[in-house]
Amino acid sequence: MDARAFPGLDRLSTASGLLALGALGALPIFFPGKYLTGVLTVAAIYGLWAVSWDFMSGLTGRENFGHSLFIGVGAYAAGFMNVKLGFGPWWSLPSAMLVAMAFGLVLGIPTLRLKGPYFALAMLSAAVIMQRLMLIFWEETGGEEGIQDITPLIKDHLHYYWFVLALLGASTVSLAALARSRWGLILRAIRGDEATCLAAGLPITRYKIVSLMISAAFAGLGGALYAHYQLQVSPQLFAVVTSITIITMVYVGGIGTIYGAAGGALLLTIMTEGLRQVGEWRLMAYSVMLILIIFFLPSGIIAPSWQRLRKSLGGTDRGLVGGGPAG
Amino acid sequence: MIYGAVTSAIYALLAVGFTLIFGVARVLNLAHGSFYALGAYGTYLLASVAGWPLWIAATVAVASVAVFGVAVERIIIRPLRHSQLGVLMITLAVSLIVEQALFLSFGSEYRNVPAFVETKVNLAGVDVGGQRLLAFVLAFLAIGLLYAFIQRTRLGSAILAIAQDAEAAKYMGIPSDRIFSLVMAISAALAALAGVLAGPFLSVQPSMHLLPIVKAFAIVVVGGLGSIAGSIAAAFMLGYAETVVAYLVNGSWTEIVSVLATLLMLIVRPAGIFGKRAAF
Amino acid sequence: MSAPILEVSDLDKRFGGLHAVKRFKLSVAPAEIVGILGPNGAGKTTIFNLLSGFIAPDQGQVLFRGTSLIGLRPDRIVGLGLARTFQLCRPIIGLTVLENVLVGSLGPRVIAKNLADRALALLDQVGLTNKANSPAELLSYGDLRRLEIARALATAPELLLLDEPFAGLGAAEIDALSTLIRSLHSQQNLTILLIEHKLREFMQLVSRVVAIDFGEIIAEGPPSTIVNDPRVIEAYIGRQTPVPTHA
Repeated sequence: MDARAFPGLDRLSTASGLLALGALGALPIFFPGKYLTGVLTVAAIYGLWAVSWDFMSGLTGRENFGHSLFIGVGAYAAGFMNVKLGFGPWWSLPSAMLVAMAFGLVLGIPTLRLKGPYFALAMLSAAVIMQRLMLIFWEETGGEEGIQDITPLIKDHLHYYWFVLALLGASTVSLAALARSRWGLILRAIRGDEATCLAAGLPITRYKIVSLMISAAFAGLGGALYAHYQLQVSPQLFAVVTSITIITMVYVGGIGTIYGAAGGALLLTIMTEGLRQVGEWRLMAYSVMLILIIFFLPSGIIAPSWQRLRKSLGGTDRGLVGGGPAG
Repeated sequence: MIYGAVTSAIYALLAVGFTLIFGVARVLNLAHGSFYALGAYGTYLLASVAGWPLWIAATVAVASVAVFGVAVERIIIRPLRHSQLGVLMITLAVSLIVEQALFLSFGSEYRNVPAFVETKVNLAGVDVGGQRLLAFVLAFLAIGLLYAFIQRTRLGSAILAIAQDAEAAKYMGIPSDRIFSLVMAISAALAALAGVLAGPFLSVQPSMHLLPIVKAFAIVVVGGLGSIAGSIAAAFMLGYAETVVAYLVNGSWTEIVSVLATLLMLIVRPAGIFGKRAAF
Repeated sequence: MSAPILEVSDLDKRFGGLHAVKRFKLSVAPAEIVGILGPNGAGKTTIFNLLSGFIAPDQGQVLFRGTSLIGLRPDRIVGLGLARTFQLCRPIIGLTVLENVLVGSLGPRVIAKNLADRALALLDQVGLTNKANSPAELLSYGDLRRLEIARALATAPELLLLDEPFAGLGAAEIDALSTLIRSLHSQQNLTILLIEHKLREFMQLVSRVVAIDFGEIIAEGPPSTIVNDPRVIEAYIGRQTPVPTHA
């Protein structure tokens, strides 16, 4: 009987993760061109946003409908630091993470005491309002146009892609490791029954808030990376569509598994790029997909497939963490 | 002052529908804003594009949205009733699909929904657009009718019963599923009516569904989820607060009012002012 | 006489018009097993909720080893050494039995090199070893009770509050649980405060009974005295519930 309290990451997972990363990194070498590299970069950034969402919402079941807020503030922080305050581009990354974490703290304190659906709605409202605020203070934030002329972090597209991919890998690994440590157990317990957690001596509020801050930090990081890729930020970043897209990616990947979120993001971004011909229907596609997934495949596609693959390769069944929307 | 009343009345229409479906079915319907948008766009389509008489266009639009609401309830919401978060996500997805569909069909420019009444009326020394006045009156009528319906008719009692205790209502033979559909139809119709009435003077573009939902949520939180009276009261509070802010500070700040109110309420008194889910 | 481990005085709580707990007072010495007896609605679980921090009292004082528990959050109180079980078992859904116990092992009072081993030992103690990797929500009622106790024990408490541990159990399970509680008490010198309805098991376990009705204390003393106390009898028979003392 497995007597280890906290499973942690195992070798098969880590090895295959590295393999996948390597493959992804090698793709543009075989199919060179700015277009593919660009798509993959965006896919990797979405991956970062997705794993950050999954860590908090996938494990605790507190689904955050306003994740775009952390993305947006991270991106705007990057824009501000770089363009308005004149700092070098590398300062953006830590600033974005700090600013996003601050928002996570400030928003988390009043909202995390709410039950699931109300937390989701409160965060949604916050994101909508944040978008509005960017427009209201147009003098400082550039309004509809946002902040332009951000300097790129790494000029070479391929190198930037590898940098982003490496960050995605590192983030996925660290968040997955955290999810399989005592922290992850606590978050899953919070999902199961909060009163019992209290009776077991866990300071659940603290854990919820810190997890939200961690989630926010990585989302903000992605936001900054996006800012230095697009070289501009606009209020569109706060759109609800972004949050829904990310949630769809996580569900496709398998909610609660962390690596599934990364896989879902990569898969969906690449897939929908292929649908570019269909043009404006793309955004609708995500919403439709979310509905279909929730009805027919609530455990997702990627994680269950990977679990089955593991078993056939002789690995132990790690089981799925989470699965389906929380009640 | 008058503007505040008009805005409040529109908010009240939206909030009452939102809180109604929640009180009865415990459903937080994020597609509620879409009903609002579809009411406005439907009227625009039938009246301006197809050239129908305005009254008919409006009535057909409201009725169609009611039917759409029932369809959403039956097909999408009902299977997920056990999971409030699932319903939330699904209805949000639906609202985005509607938004995209509207965007693809009509483009993103603002559309002009024709007004019923073009003339201005002078009320206590203030010039008020006739349409706004009409909106106010009709909104009040609609809510009044709803109130009478719920208090006086058997169907209304059934609705109250389900809101109090869904299980018990089932044991008593009340066909809750059909009532849910009915309540959804009413809720959607109210929202669509708000869209029709407010269309002429509030902005009509594909993403118009989002702010109403945020405000409806704010109102319902402040007034108390499931409390119709609370929603009406809170709607007026919010409407007037926004008018004051717009007058004193700046029009764009009005949205902040609702979110601040929500957050403060959630921190201080999550049950809302009239909370504890008193239906009436 | 050593200092009491728990000192409750003047505990009072109203819910709107209902005066649920009236000036409740209690003093528990270390390693005692004290029982709170009372018909349904007497306020017993409310008292537990007040003691464990889930509800705040309107007035009164609760001193646990000299520290006031008033205003402390439930998890802090557990960290001080007071653990409770729930009358309606609350397993943490989505976690295995072992993980449920592990969750209780993460507090500041636990000093163990291997948490998993310690958790397994606890499961062994309550007799759930072979269910360690089962999902918690699949357990039978009796097993859920054991899990509740195991999880409470995992927090390394000095005082254990058991809320109707025998409710809903069959005769054999009651006996087994009774034996378990007694062994926990003697082996670990655990102080136990117990709410129960089923008088027979109760009588054999506790050294002292506090009988309450309508939120206030009506009698206090050793089991043999309480059974014959007229107010206690009236509280039960007045409600058409005979006091079942002998099988």
